[in-house]
Amino acid sequence: MITITREQERKARQDKRFINKQTQTAAKYLRRIDELSGAPDGMKPFLDTLNRIYVEMQGLNATQKTIGTYCVMAPQELIYAAGAVPVKLCSGNYTAFFVGEDIAPRDACPLVKAVAGFKNTGLMPVYEDCSLMIVPVTCDCKKKIAGMLSEQCEVMTMHIPTSKGDDEIDEFVSQLYDMAARLEDITGNQVTYDSLAEAFRITGRAQYELSEFIRLKKGNPYLIRGTHAMTIMNAAAYMHAEDWAAALHEVNRSLKERAGNGQRVTNKKLPRILLTGSPIVFPNMKIPLLIEEMGGIVAGDETCMGERGLYDPPVITDDSFDGMMRALANRSLRPCPCPTFADNSQRIYRLKQLIKDNDIQGVIYHVLRGCLVYDFEYKRIEEELGQLGIPVIRLESDYNEEDVEQLRIRIEAFIELIKLKQEPEKHKTGRRYL
Amino acid sequence: MKIKKKIIIAALSCAVLGTIAYFAYVFPFYEFEQNDYDTSLDKILSLDYLKTLAPLFIIIGLSAIGIVTTLCLRKQMLKKDKTYSRFAGREKSGNAPMQKPVPFMVIRWIMMIGFGFMMIWGGLIFGLKMSSVSIPILSCPWNTEQMTESSCYYLSHLNELFELPIKSILLFFGSTLLFIVLLGRTICGFLCPMGLIQDIMDKIRQKTKNEGISANEKLYSTLTPIKWAMLLIFIGLCFVGGNFCNFCPAVAVSPILAGMSTSLYVSGFLMIFVLIGSFFKRRLFCNICPLGYIIGLFHKISLFRIKKDCTACTECGACYEACPMGIKQIYTERGKTNVTDANCIMCGECVKCCPEDNALSLTCAGLKLYTSSRKDIISRYTPKKK
Repeated sequence: MITITREQERKARQDKRFINKQTQTAAKYLRRIDELSGAPDGMKPFLDTLNRIYVEMQGLNATQKTIGTYCVMAPQELIYAAGAVPVKLCSGNYTAFFVGEDIAPRDACPLVKAVAGFKNTGLMPVYEDCSLMIVPVTCDCKKKIAGMLSEQCEVMTMHIPTSKGDDEIDEFVSQLYDMAARLEDITGNQVTYDSLAEAFRITGRAQYELSEFIRLKKGNPYLIRGTHAMTIMNAAAYMHAEDWAAALHEVNRSLKERAGNGQRVTNKKLPRILLTGSPIVFPNMKIPLLIEEMGGIVAGDETCMGERGLYDPPVITDDSFDGMMRALANRSLRPCPCPTFADNSQRIYRLKQLIKDNDIQGVIYHVLRGCLVYDFEYKRIEEELGQLGIPVIRLESDYNEEDVEQLRIRIEAFIELIKLKQEPEKHKTGRRYL
Repeated sequence: MKIKKKIIIAALSCAVLGTIAYFAYVFPFYEFEQNDYDTSLDKILSLDYLKTLAPLFIIIGLSAIGIVTTLCLRKQMLKKDKTYSRFAGREKSGNAPMQKPVPFMVIRWIMMIGFGFMMIWGGLIFGLKMSSVSIPILSCPWNTEQMTESSCYYLSHLNELFELPIKSILLFFGSTLLFIVLLGRTICGFLCPMGLIQDIMDKIRQKTKNEGISANEKLYSTLTPIKWAMLLIFIGLCFVGGNFCNFCPAVAVSPILAGMSTSLYVSGFLMIFVLIGSFFKRRLFCNICPLGYIIGLFHKISLFRIKKDCTACTECGACYEACPMGIKQIYTERGKTNVTDANCIMCGECVKCCPEDNALSLTCAGLKLYTSSRKDIISRYTPKKK
């Protein structure tokens, strides 16, 4: 009897410690983002959302059921069509990561460890509220985490093919039908032609605002800090697409004003950096924060929690229910530059286009420790970008703050390197004008 | 969707309709007389016209029956399929988010309808001043009253061609080649009445929200040998004493509409096949059209091109899904700027569906006529103004 109560007390103490630590780190990173200069008007809803989820530890305040997804390849449209709200559960939490380290093997990636940690403590409402978790199997860690999660809640796995041929698309379409059937069983609503069309409009509106946002960023350099942009994208994980689109609309309006007045985040010519590689999930924002605190600017972001996740619109070429399903399958697989695909050379083209569009001077390749698929692609990308004369640096990091100093030194050196590269050109042009 | 099943169903229904069409072929509609090919505006405006249209109504009726039975059969078959059955038969009253009409597409439709009208009734209204000009187009030359000559007749009757006076031969080759070089397969996408009919069938399917056969390499690879067989028949049949016109589905349309009394030949049966086929698969006949293939051979010297900016492309495959001709390299191509294929009919669907700015463009002699833009794609989601 005594041992049981003692056990309970220990658990309660542990939980309390977990909550304290978790909210503290989240609050700290939110504060750092907030303190960063040049935030556009209208950022508040996004910060509030992250604050509500991580600091106040509340669930999504939605009346509908929530469905957790672990990858952008599970189409949100279907979830909205079934009358539920999607929430992205990929985690960047340091505290949960420490808990997860005891559960998952040493070499598993921190993202999966953090998810395992959250599910193990059972304290995070966003995770506990989920009626179903959809896990697209994009890597081995995701496959095993799906098995782990299924012990505690309903899980649906999705098989992601290794190539993008016609047969694979057909196969994925039938998986989407399965997903729709599963969602119907859980929500009790029907996925019909009309509800799917309505769902397309909901996410389409968000994509409309996002493409406006990207267009504004592209046309006017130094309009917004990348960390703020990434915060906006991260908040999308926990917001209904309609609310998110409305909030982003406000941001776009203030950015338009800024562009009209010729205002900028900074008057200095800061090195423009593209961030790519493993996903950067709140509160693991140390790398973008370090870049911007060290005097760089994150001008582009090619990570799947970032702009890439919502960037590609589904294109309906056949006006039928099946046509819409195919549009979703097509959108989910074909344009996705995820390293889970065997041949992923399209990612290089995407990076080149981003470099051209955003006038990028250096690329930071983020690798989460244990994220093999992204690590594999580093060599090829370094070679390809080397030919363009764009310096690339690989930053391996984990979900803890121990490596911050080391990262700081490397990022600082990288930014100095870019500054050195751009200065001689300045002199040249200066002389010519004299 | 299960493509094999669909193809089997379509083939079965076509076979059934074929037998019906055979009886229609035997069934005489009129007493054949020497001057039956004479038409005039008066004839079209009189009640007799309805009588001549009878075979056309039979073709349309049989095609409609064929489409409905195919749909019913498919529904029956899908009932056994666990994945799809629960979604089948649900009401679809709403509309999918559709793109705002693009000027290019509007122009294309106006051109197609206008030219189709001219090819059928133009000669009767405006006279035959241009009748010595040949356009490589599948508008039936049996309609002797059409505005211009179609090259298809002499291309499929080469033995007759060389019996003509030299001036006519030169005029034939000159005008045909001129059109091929100037327009290329733009003729197929903009002018051909057969294309118009098939596009209308596709529009009907889209409006009734029935699903079609989706883009699949296997389907296109089975169509390619059929195309070559058609080409062989098209060019070679005249030398062994046959007549391609007996097999050409275009025969079943324009002469009848122009008020000429014709019976349903084998071509009538083929027309039913084309109508049903193009209902489920957009521009199915264009994929096996021998004349289009010949025009396509000259795609390297024709003025119209599809250009691609390979870095802007995200390989989303929307162009491939939209392409009625199943041209895959348009999205897999990563080096060349010119992605014009021999099969490309310049319908502009790929450009319309491309979500990347300037990734695809349709050019004429280097001049950009139609460029893809993300704004066009995303325009369907424009927020409502308060």
